[in-house]
Amino acid sequence: MPDPRRRKSRRGRSAGWLFISPWLLGLLVLFIFPFFASLYWSFCRYDLLSSPEWIGTEHYQRIAAEIWNGDGFGNALWNTLYYAALSVPLSIITAVLLAVMLSWRIRGQAIFRTLFFLPSIIPLVASSILWLWLLDPQDGLVNHVLGWFGAPPQLWFQGTHEAAHPGTMLEFGSKDALVLMSTWGVGNFMLIYLAALGDVPPQLYEAAALDGAGRGRRFWHVTLPMLSPLILFNLVLGLIKSFQAFTQVYLVSEGTGEPVGSTLLLSLHLFLAAFQDLEMGYTSAMAWLLFIVLFIATILLFRSSRHWVHYRTSLGG
Amino acid sequence: MQKSLRTWFMMALPLVLAGSLATLAWITRPQSGIPEGREEVVFWHFWGGSDRAVVEDIVDRFNHSQEQYHVRAVAMPGNNLDMKMFLAVTGGDPPDLINQDDPIVADWAHRGALMPLEEIATEEEVRQLEDWLFPAARELGSYQGRLYGLCNGLDIRALYYNRAIIRERTGQPAPERLESIEQLDELATACVLREEGRLTSLGYLPDPRRLWAWGVVFGGRFTDESGKVTCDDPEIVQALQWMVRYRERWGADTLAAFRQGDQSLPGKTFPLLAGRYAIVMDGQWRVRDIPADRSGEFGVWPLPPPAGRTRQAEGWVNGNLFLVPRGCRTPRGAWEFMKFWSGFGGKEAEAARTCSQGGWIPPSQQVVDQPQFQQYLRENPLFARFVQLAAGDQVPTPVIPGARMYYREVNQAAERALYTDNPADAGSLLEAAAHKVQQHLDRIGGRREEP
Repeated sequence: MPDPRRRKSRRGRSAGWLFISPWLLGLLVLFIFPFFASLYWSFCRYDLLSSPEWIGTEHYQRIAAEIWNGDGFGNALWNTLYYAALSVPLSIITAVLLAVMLSWRIRGQAIFRTLFFLPSIIPLVASSILWLWLLDPQDGLVNHVLGWFGAPPQLWFQGTHEAAHPGTMLEFGSKDALVLMSTWGVGNFMLIYLAALGDVPPQLYEAAALDGAGRGRRFWHVTLPMLSPLILFNLVLGLIKSFQAFTQVYLVSEGTGEPVGSTLLLSLHLFLAAFQDLEMGYTSAMAWLLFIVLFIATILLFRSSRHWVHYRTSLGG
Repeated sequence: MQKSLRTWFMMALPLVLAGSLATLAWITRPQSGIPEGREEVVFWHFWGGSDRAVVEDIVDRFNHSQEQYHVRAVAMPGNNLDMKMFLAVTGGDPPDLINQDDPIVADWAHRGALMPLEEIATEEEVRQLEDWLFPAARELGSYQGRLYGLCNGLDIRALYYNRAIIRERTGQPAPERLESIEQLDELATACVLREEGRLTSLGYLPDPRRLWAWGVVFGGRFTDESGKVTCDDPEIVQALQWMVRYRERWGADTLAAFRQGDQSLPGKTFPLLAGRYAIVMDGQWRVRDIPADRSGEFGVWPLPPPAGRTRQAEGWVNGNLFLVPRGCRTPRGAWEFMKFWSGFGGKEAEAARTCSQGGWIPPSQQVVDQPQFQQYLRENPLFARFVQLAAGDQVPTPVIPGARMYYREVNQAAERALYTDNPADAGSLLEAAAHKVQQHLDRIGGRREEP
C-alpha cells in the first residue's frame, strides 16, 4: 500500500517543478545554451548566416596578438581597465561621502537626499547629452568654471588624453569624461549606504567617543568597517557594471568609439565585431575572456575581503 | 478532495491568465489593412521626421497604382537598421525589402543573404537597368559582377562657402570656382577670425571622415581592381599629409576642440550657418538646412585637385540602396516597388516627383531630365550643383566585404593624424589600417556561401 505522505511529497515536488518550469525553460534556452554554444563558437569562424567552421584557437591567438600590440581587443581592454580603475573607486568614495553627509540631521535633509538621488533616475540618453554640453571644450560650463581657477580648458570627449596617465597627467580626455559621467549616477549606491548607516549601532560611536575618538577617527574606525560588507558588494557590482558599460559610450561616440578609439570600451568593441563585422566567433572568444577576467577579479576581491570586510557579529547583551 | 481542487485551480490559474493575455493580444493586434487579393510587401527604411512623410506618400501612390501588391512601410530611424535586418535574416523572417545607406552590400551578398536582382527581374530588365543608372549608382549596388542593390539616391559631397565671410575677410568676392587645393588653403588662412584671442571662426578645417573624398580627388583609389585594400596609396597618403598640415598649424587640441564645438551646436545646426567656417565640405542634404531667404549668401564648389595635377575624380559618393533579403516572401512585389521609387521602367516622372519632394539626387539622368525635376533644380540652384556633380566622375565607396570596418579604420587613422600630438606619419597610419582590414578580408575571403 503506497505511503500517502510520500505520494503527497511527490505531488508537491511535481507542482514545484511545474511552477518553476517557465523560468527553467528560459534559463536553458536563453542562458545555458548560449553560454556553452558561445564557448564552442569561440573556436569557430562563424557569422550566424553560415555554419560554424572549426578553426581551433585562432581567435584566442589573434586576441593575444592584439593585447600585445595594443590594438583592437588590447585597446578596448586598456580603455575598460582605465575606466573601471577610476570609475569604481570614485563612485564608491563619492557615494559613501554623500551618504555620510546626507545622514546628518540638518534642515532640508529630505530635499538634499532627493536631489542627490535624482540623477540616477534620469535616463542615460538624456544625461549623456547633458554631459556632452557640459563638457564641450569651447563653450562647456565645466571648462568655464575651470577657467575661474586658472586651469586650462580640457578636451573631454574630443580628447585622447588620460588624466591618470603619467604622460598626460591632469589633461582630461574622453575616458575621464566617462568616469565623471559615472559618478553622476551614484544615487543607487548612496541609497544603500544611507540605509546601512542608519543600522550602525549607536553604542559603537558612543564607545569610540568615550575612548576619545574624534569625528574623523569615528568615521575611519566605526563607520567604514560597518559599511565594508556593502562596499564589497558595490565593488563587485560596480566592477561588473563598468565592464559592461555600453549605452553611454555608444551615445557619446555615436557608436564608433571615437576619438581615435579612446572610448572603445570592451562592450562596444564586442558589439561592433558582432553586428558590424559579423565576427561571432571572435566576439564569443572575447566574451569568454571577459567572463574569465571578471570571474578572477571577483574571486580575488572576495579573497581579499577577509582582510578588510567586517561582518557584524552579535553585540551581545 | 477540496485541497486537491485548490491545487488544480492554482495550477490552472497561470494557464488561464496566459490564455487570456494571448486572446487579448490577438483581438487588439494591429490591422494590416491589406486589400483583398493583394500580396503584402514589407518594407523597412530608416527615414524619420519630414522625410518619413515623403516615404509614406510614395508608398500611398504605389499602393493606389497597384492591383497585385500592397507595400507596408516600417520606419526604423536610427543607425542600426542593418543589425535589425541581420537578426531578421538569421531568424528566418526578413522583410521583403529594405533601404539603407551603410556599405553592407558586399558583406551581405558575400554571405548569400541578399538576392541578386537577376533572380527577381528578367535578364533584359537587369541589362537595361545597368545602362539606365549613373555609373556610380550602378557600382554601389554591384558585387562581383552581379547587381544586388538598386540605388534610389546618391550622396554627393562638395564645398559649401559663405560669400559674405569670404568677401569681408579677404576683401574680394568669392571665386566662382576653386582651381586648386592651394587656393583653398589660401582662403582658409585668410578667413580665420579671432575674438579676444580666442579662435571663433575658421576658413576651412579638414574633417578626418572626409579623407575618403580628398583621397580620390588627389588621385588615389581605396581598392584596386582585385578588391585589395589600398588606402596606403601614395595619393591618399598625400591627401592625409595635406590635412595634417592644418594640425601642424593649429595644434591637435585646438582642432579637436573646434570640431567638438560643431557637434555641440543646438539641433546639430549646419556649422556653416552658425558662421563657424567660411568653407565646409558636406553633402547635398545640407541644402535643405539653408533657409530659402538666405540661400543667396552661400555657394557650392566642386572639390579642387592639387595644383598642376589633372583632376582624377570629382569626388567620393555613396548612396541609398534597395536590397532584397534572401528568404523574403514577396521579392517580385519588392522589385515592382523599387522600380516605382527609383523611376526605372518608364516611371521616371513618378521618381522625379519623389526626388523633388525629398531633395534627393536621382540615380539616373533620365529622372534628372524630367520637366518636374528640372523645375525643382531651377528653384534650388545650390542643389543643382550637386546633381551636376553626380553625373560626373564620382568614385563610389568600395563595395567589398568588411567595408564598414574599412570605413572605421581609415577614419581612425585620419583622426589619429589630426587629433593627437606626435602621431606616426600619415603613410604608416594608413599602412597599418590597410594591413588590418586586408587581414580581415583574407579571413573571410574564402568562405563565400552560394545560395
